[in-house]
Amino acid sequence: MSNPNFDYYARAKQEHGHDHNHDHDDHAPVNEHDNGPPSDYEIMSRAMQELLEEKGLITAEQVRRRMELFDEEFPYRGSRVIARAWTDPAFKARLLADGRAACAEMDIVLESERLIAVENTPDVHNVIVCTLCSCYPRALLGMPPTWYKSRNYRSRVVFEPRTVLHEFGTVLPDHVTVRVHDSNADMRYVVIPMRPEGTEGWSEEQLAEILTRDALVGVTVPRIGR
Amino acid sequence: MSDKPLNRGPHDIGGEAAGPIDTTDHGMKFWERQANALRSTLGANGITCVDELRRAAEDLGDEYRGLQYFEITTRALRTVLLEKSIFSEEELKAKMAEIRARFNVPDEMESPIKAKAR
Repeated sequence: MSNPNFDYYARAKQEHGHDHNHDHDDHAPVNEHDNGPPSDYEIMSRAMQELLEEKGLITAEQVRRRMELFDEEFPYRGSRVIARAWTDPAFKARLLADGRAACAEMDIVLESERLIAVENTPDVHNVIVCTLCSCYPRALLGMPPTWYKSRNYRSRVVFEPRTVLHEFGTVLPDHVTVRVHDSNADMRYVVIPMRPEGTEGWSEEQLAEILTRDALVGVTVPRIGR
Repeated sequence: MSDKPLNRGPHDIGGEAAGPIDTTDHGMKFWERQANALRSTLGANGITCVDELRRAAEDLGDEYRGLQYFEITTRALRTVLLEKSIFSEEELKAKMAEIRARFNVPDEMESPIKAKAR
């Protein structure tokens, strides 16, 4: 945690003079630009969309709206849900009992059948993965980051989680049990991190600021003044 | 750990030895965002479901390893839509040729896309 080389956001801040008050930057990735001529896959994907539009099965507006939801809305929901769990013990209990129903209270409809919230404690740290593909609580966190979908993360985090966490700059005391949760198409996980000391009296909005995507996946822990 | 039982598919990689993790999120290219939104829209409209797409991806077999994430999902979507006879292979081929031609702007326009392609 103390090694800035492992902290993407710390690096991004140094490089771009990140302003902490700027909306959303800690939650959404910066997209890469397409370079060069379109690939066969890009053309295939575009062709399928146009055929489906011509057949009246989808509209361009629906696809555009989906893209907007993934970019503008989904990435910011998880931090709001967990900030509420930090400030409202009754809500946290409901979230732990039935993640889907608790999110519905906040008008968040999840795409999977079940959402299981797992809580970090001084003795247990949780981290999530999908070894088989990339199952991820998208309606809460947006699209999974590149590394979540990578072969190396999917292969290794299940048998050497401490080493993997170390690559993210997260070093846990030896007595802490690390639990790795393998998601699937019908069942997604989200981590409830430990609320850091020094956040007493903070509003849900302030707390949501430190609840980054990586903390909700469990590869990092929330920190004040990152 | 790398000895795979015969019944494990190409996607079933949990527990395999692998290299260090690139912990930077590289985000998504525009076409990947389009591909993702298309897939998501089809799910929302009840045309495809996640299990069908997952099965089609896993059926890629040895090809799976060499493809990037959204190449796999695009191939899987193509398979499922063809299986459902939503369009034919010929229709898709013709539409792809039509789209490819749209990028073929005349030389005198000094297309940066064409310049890069050369």
